[in-house]
Amino acid sequence: MAPKKLRRARLSQELCERLSRYQITTCQDFLCLSLLDLMKVTGQSYRNVQKLLCKVSLACAPKMQTAYEMKVRRAVNPSSAFLSTSLHGLDKVLHGGVPCGSLTEITSPPGCGKTQFCIMMSVLATLPVSMGGLDGAVIYIDTESAFSAERLVEIAGNRFPAYFDSDEKLFSMTRSIYLYRELTCGSVLKRIKSLEEEIISKKVKLIIIDSVASVVRKEFDTKLQGNLTERSNFLARGASLLKYLAEEFSIPDPAFCLFPKCSLREPA
Amino acid sequence: GQRQLLPLAPALRARLVAAGFQTAQELLDTGPCGLSKEIGISKEEALEALQVVRQECHSDATQTAGAPGTSRKCTALELLEQEQAQGFIITFCSALDNILGGGVQLTKITEICGEPGVGKTQLCMQLAVDVQIPECFGGLAGEAVFIDTEGSFMVDRVVDVATACVQHCQLIAEAHQEEDHLKALETFSLESILSHIYYFRCRDYIELLAQVYLLPDFLSEHSKVRLVVIDGIAFPFRHDFEDLSLRTRLLNGLAQQLIIVANDHKAAVILTNQMTTRIGQSQSTLVPALGESWGHAATVRLIFHWDNNQRLATLYKSPSQKESTIPYHITPHGFRDVQPPAVTQNPEGTELNPRKRPRREEEK
Repeated sequence: MAPKKLRRARLSQELCERLSRYQITTCQDFLCLSLLDLMKVTGQSYRNVQKLLCKVSLACAPKMQTAYEMKVRRAVNPSSAFLSTSLHGLDKVLHGGVPCGSLTEITSPPGCGKTQFCIMMSVLATLPVSMGGLDGAVIYIDTESAFSAERLVEIAGNRFPAYFDSDEKLFSMTRSIYLYRELTCGSVLKRIKSLEEEIISKKVKLIIIDSVASVVRKEFDTKLQGNLTERSNFLARGASLLKYLAEEFSIPDPAFCLFPKCSLREPA
Repeated sequence: GQRQLLPLAPALRARLVAAGFQTAQELLDTGPCGLSKEIGISKEEALEALQVVRQECHSDATQTAGAPGTSRKCTALELLEQEQAQGFIITFCSALDNILGGGVQLTKITEICGEPGVGKTQLCMQLAVDVQIPECFGGLAGEAVFIDTEGSFMVDRVVDVATACVQHCQLIAEAHQEEDHLKALETFSLESILSHIYYFRCRDYIELLAQVYLLPDFLSEHSKVRLVVIDGIAFPFRHDFEDLSLRTRLLNGLAQQLIIVANDHKAAVILTNQMTTRIGQSQSTLVPALGESWGHAATVRLIFHWDNNQRLATLYKSPSQKESTIPYHITPHGFRDVQPPAVTQNPEGTELNPRKRPRREEEK
């Protein structure tokens, strides 16, 4: 998602060279300038600058779809719209399960079972589609070292004894779960950024972050004034990266947060 | 330039020559008051003379190419007539329509602020359907542009809302049995409603800037669009911006372009904004995000908030309607009144204390 170079916006070679002398090389640089500045750096009239703005915008703007086209696309593949949680009541309330293509957040006070839920969802994602799974791999970003492989195997074996009837089946499932231990906000962000290629190469169908809050609270003491902006910055950037991945690959993205009984946002 | 004879009365011409005037431009530069003093005629006569001179000069001068558009001026009366004929997009919540003065206004920017989950996107989806209601049912028969920066748009939900809206119109048609109602229902269907919501997913602020630059052309090609929604104006601007002055400048530019779009294409622009915490001396309060200068961008500002389990909408800023608060519901059919519809005033200030909401303790 690096900024697009102006050459790819079909501007003339001459114009690109001229602009690069002012350090304007990407569409981002171009679109952030005011009209007057644009007239100055391009040396062109108001009218022509408007036309150039349209050209560069066309290179950056998203494609239009009608809501009808979106509905048709979803209807084509209804089973892959949700990942069932295997809990009937929860699936009913969620209209099918954890939705694919968007972020789902799970929060609770400590000890309620979030990590257990994550581990179970990991098993479910590796199951074949006929059993309600996604037949894919899982990326599990663990910031608290709470993940237990033994527990994973225990859940799988007890929950689906008919399917995991051999050690081989169990090990094959564990091989599809890729665990990353990240202990700082920076490394979590870095990991998320690197995921795009992994998702394609490993056929990932579920991404779990357990938990976002623990790593944020470690680094950002909200009692200190300046930290609030930096923390929001990190959360917003992480969220938008995850959303991009979720939508691009149509995968469910539960990002788990841990909240204590009092509010995360404490008064100064 | 050329020496021409201006069609002025000979007596007047004699006085002008005697006073030393040689060119038409000189006359124009002097102005009516100066002229009347200098040659001893009344101001009205001087004005008449100058208008004659000006007309002569303009009929000769060649028009310069690419002249900028004339500034729009009109009297307040003309504006009043325009405003009264103005269309509104109804929200299906009569209490909200009432405090807005009829509904969401065309040619104006309306901002909806509120915390996550309170119903901003729900209202946007409702409006994207309502703008399409045929004229015989009291609607605008328009189309909608939906610019989504957070991915909150849910097609399945729009299907629910649109289906309920069509059923509502069908009930009206059955009750009145008028021909134009039945004819309109032939083309007002779920499929047509969905086909006329033009959806753009903008992943970052550059895509958003680009899309807004392209809006005028898009609206010229799709002249029936009467609603532009930007769901999540704050989200792309809340990270990756170390330079806050750049952010302010870009947001101001966006606001200006949207005002032009709203006016030129007679469309309503709806923006949704997040809330942020302002750390005060003794407590922190929730205020709309993007800073104080952004508060000037929208003409009308609504704040959606909770009071225990009840959702409330407060009209916070409007040039013509007074500040009020009403309750609303999100039902399977969409955005609706609380039964029975009630209108309550909010005499206190509008800075909302998040601690008054025991339902949801955690905030980002």
